[in-house]
Amino acid sequence: MTYRLRLSVLAVIAIAAVAVPAAAQTRTARQPATSSRSVQIGGYAMVGQFRFASARSFDTILGTDSGPIAGGGATVGLPVGGLFVDIGAWQFAQSGERVLVLGSEVIPLGIPVEIRIVPVEISAGWRFRIRRLPKLIPYAAGGYTSFGYKETSTFAGTGEDVDERFGGYHLRGGVEFKITRWLGVAGEATWTTVPDAIGGGGVSKAFNEDNLGGTSFRARLTVGR
Amino acid sequence: MTVPQSVWTTGRRVGLVGIAIAGLLTAAGAGQTPQVPGASRLLVQDTALPPMDRGLRDQDSPRAARSRADAERLRGDGGDDGLPYVRGSIIVKFRPGTTAAGITAATRQVAGDTIDRSGWANFDIIDIPDAADPEAAAAALRERPDVEYAQPRYRNYAMSKPNDPLYPNQWNFPAIDMERAWDIQPGATSDIIVAVLDSGVAFRSGTFRYNSTFRFRLTPGGPFYPALGVVDVPFAAAPELGASGSTRFVAPYDFIWDDDAPVDLDSHGTHVTGTIGQLTNNGLGVAGMAYNVRIMPVKIIQAVWDEIFSSPNEGTDDVVARGIRYAADHGAKVINLSIGRSDGGPAPVVTDALRYAVGRGAFIAVASGNTRDDGNPANRLAQPAPDINGMVAVGAVGRTLDVAYYSTSGPFVELSAPGGDQRAGGTSAGILQQTLDLDLIETYERPVAQYGPPRADAFSFYYFQGTSMATPHVSGFAALLMQQGVTSPAAVEAAMKQFATDKGAPGPDELYGYGLINPRATLRGLGLAR
Repeated sequence: MTYRLRLSVLAVIAIAAVAVPAAAQTRTARQPATSSRSVQIGGYAMVGQFRFASARSFDTILGTDSGPIAGGGATVGLPVGGLFVDIGAWQFAQSGERVLVLGSEVIPLGIPVEIRIVPVEISAGWRFRIRRLPKLIPYAAGGYTSFGYKETSTFAGTGEDVDERFGGYHLRGGVEFKITRWLGVAGEATWTTVPDAIGGGGVSKAFNEDNLGGTSFRARLTVGR
Repeated sequence: MTVPQSVWTTGRRVGLVGIAIAGLLTAAGAGQTPQVPGASRLLVQDTALPPMDRGLRDQDSPRAARSRADAERLRGDGGDDGLPYVRGSIIVKFRPGTTAAGITAATRQVAGDTIDRSGWANFDIIDIPDAADPEAAAAALRERPDVEYAQPRYRNYAMSKPNDPLYPNQWNFPAIDMERAWDIQPGATSDIIVAVLDSGVAFRSGTFRYNSTFRFRLTPGGPFYPALGVVDVPFAAAPELGASGSTRFVAPYDFIWDDDAPVDLDSHGTHVTGTIGQLTNNGLGVAGMAYNVRIMPVKIIQAVWDEIFSSPNEGTDDVVARGIRYAADHGAKVINLSIGRSDGGPAPVVTDALRYAVGRGAFIAVASGNTRDDGNPANRLAQPAPDINGMVAVGAVGRTLDVAYYSTSGPFVELSAPGGDQRAGGTSAGILQQTLDLDLIETYERPVAQYGPPRADAFSFYYFQGTSMATPHVSGFAALLMQQGVTSPAAVEAAMKQFATDKGAPGPDELYGYGLINPRATLRGLGLAR
C-alpha cells in the first residue's frame, strides 16, 4: 500500500468512524455546536504541512525541514459552553540518506533511511460563538501529544533502528467554516513541542537539536455538528 | 663497532655502506661485472614459472622478532658507524627566487661541489665531503635566509616485526567489524588507487640479473658470507594480490633501482599490500581491507638484498619524498607509509612532500613506530601528522584491542588499528597475510655453507606484527571511505577520528590517539536520531 493510499484510507476511516453517530443526531440536534446542551460527536480528515523544530537535522537527512502530513480524528463537543475534546492522529513519512557531518561539511553516504512519524494528539479546547457570523467558529485547544518516531535504514544492526514513542504538548488555534450543518472546513495552526526526544545520536546530536516537535498548518474537512 | 666508513668501487660508492667489506671484490664477482654494469640490474626474462604457494608456515620454528636494530644490523657491522644518515650529501631546499650566486655561496659554505635535482623532487642534493658531518652542514645551511630547509639524508626502514606463522585466522578484521563494513562498502573499486611506498611489492613475474660483488658478515666477529657474483633471481606476482601484468597494478616505480620494476626482495611491502588489497571472496588465502582497489607499488625502502646487490639508492629521506610526490602525481588517492625512522632529526623534505600529496588529494597513513619498549622515540616521518589534515599517524593494538607493547606513543599518534601483539597473544596474535617465503628470501639467515641467491617467486602466509601492519588497515579504510564519497583527505581523517572507538584515557591520548578505527560505523555514518 502506498503512502498516499494509506493516508487516504486513514482519512476515510476517520470520517466514517464519526459519520454515523453524527448523522444520527441530525434529526434531534437543533443548537449550534458552540452552545450545545448535549454531547456532539464529529469527525474530521486533515492534511497539512509540518515544519520541524529540529530543522537542520531533518534538512540534512531528508533534504527538507518540512513535509506533508495527513490524518484524522474525532471531536466530542461537551455540554459545557464551547468545550470540546479532540483525539486525532496523523502521519509523516519521508526517505533520505545517512550522512557524515564533518564540521560544516555534510557528506551524503547513499545509505537509504526512512523516517516515519505518527503522533496521537489528545486535546481539549473551546469553540467560540460569533453571533454575527454563525458559520465561522474559531477555536483554540491544547493537549498532550504522543509522538511516535520510527527511523529505519539499510545495513542497520540490532538496536540501530529507532522505533519509540515520546511525550510532548501542543497548542492549536483555528477557524472552522460550516458549509452545511453537518459539513465544514477548517484551517488551523498547531505548535508542538516534544523535547528530549532526539539529540542522543545521529545528526541531531551533532547539531544539538533534541525536539521532535514543530509547527504545522492544517486544513480540516469536518463532518458532524 | 669500528668499521670502514665507506667503500668505493667501480667509481661508485657502494650502497651497502654498513656491510663489513673485508675482501672487496671477489674474483667471481669482478669477473662477471660486465653482465650487470655498475650498480644496476638487468631484466633477463620477462616471464617466469608460476609462483609457488608454500601455504601457511605453521610448522616453522619461531623466528626472532625483527626490530629497527635488526633492520640496520648490516650497517651496524659495516662501514657507516651505524649512522642514521648517508654521508657525503645533504638535502637542501632553497627559497623561491634564490639566485644562482646564492646557491653557489651556500654550496661553498659546506664545501659542496655539485647540486643534483632528481625527478619528483622540489629540493636539491648537495654533495659534501665524506668527512664532513651532514647534520652540522645542514644546520649551517638552515641559518641562511635563502634556505627553506636543509637536512641530512636520513635512512628510513620498514616498521614491522615479523614472526612465525602458526595460526590460520585473521582476528584483525572482525576486531574492527569489517564483515559488516564490507556489507556497506564491499572492497571499494578500481577507481581508487592506493600507493604502497615500501620495500616493493610482488606484483610481476620475471627474472632479474643482479651482481653480488662483496662478501659481508651480519654480526661483528661473525662468519663472512661470500659474494655470489652474477645471480638470476626469479620473481612472481603474489597469487593473492593479482596476476602479473594485470590492471590491478598501476604506475609502478622503483626509487631504489631507478626503474619501473619495484619488485620486493624483502617481504614487508608485499605483506603490507596484502592487508590493503588482498584478493577476497575468491575462496583462497586470506582477505584484505579494500580488495578491489588498484595498487601502485612504489619502492623507497632498501631491503638487505638490495644492499647486497648494491642498489644505487637507499631509503633516505629524499628518496621517500620523491616517492610520495611521484605517487601523488600519478593519481594515488591513498598513500601507505609503513616506514620511517626514529633516529636523526626532523625530515622537512618529507613533510614538504606529505603536504604536497595531501594538497593533490591523497590521504596518507603513516606508522607511528615500534619503539615504545625501546625508549619510545617517535617516527620522524609521523610527527607532522597532527599538523596535516589528511594524514594520520597510526598506532597498533593487539588481539585484545589493547595497545601493542611496541607501538610508539606520543602526541602525534592519531588513530589505532590492529597491528598484532605476539608478546601478549603468541604467534597468531600477529597480522596474517601472504608474502614472500622467508626461507627462500632470507638465505643470509642460513649457515654460510647454505647461503645462496634468493627466490622471490615462492609465497607463504605469515603473521607479522608492527605499526607497519596497523597502517594498511587505515589505508584500506581510507579507500573504502573515498569510494563511499568522502573524497577529501581532510574529511577522511575527520571521519575516522569522529567514529573511532575511544580507548585508554577518555578522549584523545598518546597511546591510541582518537581510538581504534571503526570502519563500519564510519561508513554507515549518521541517521537523524541514531
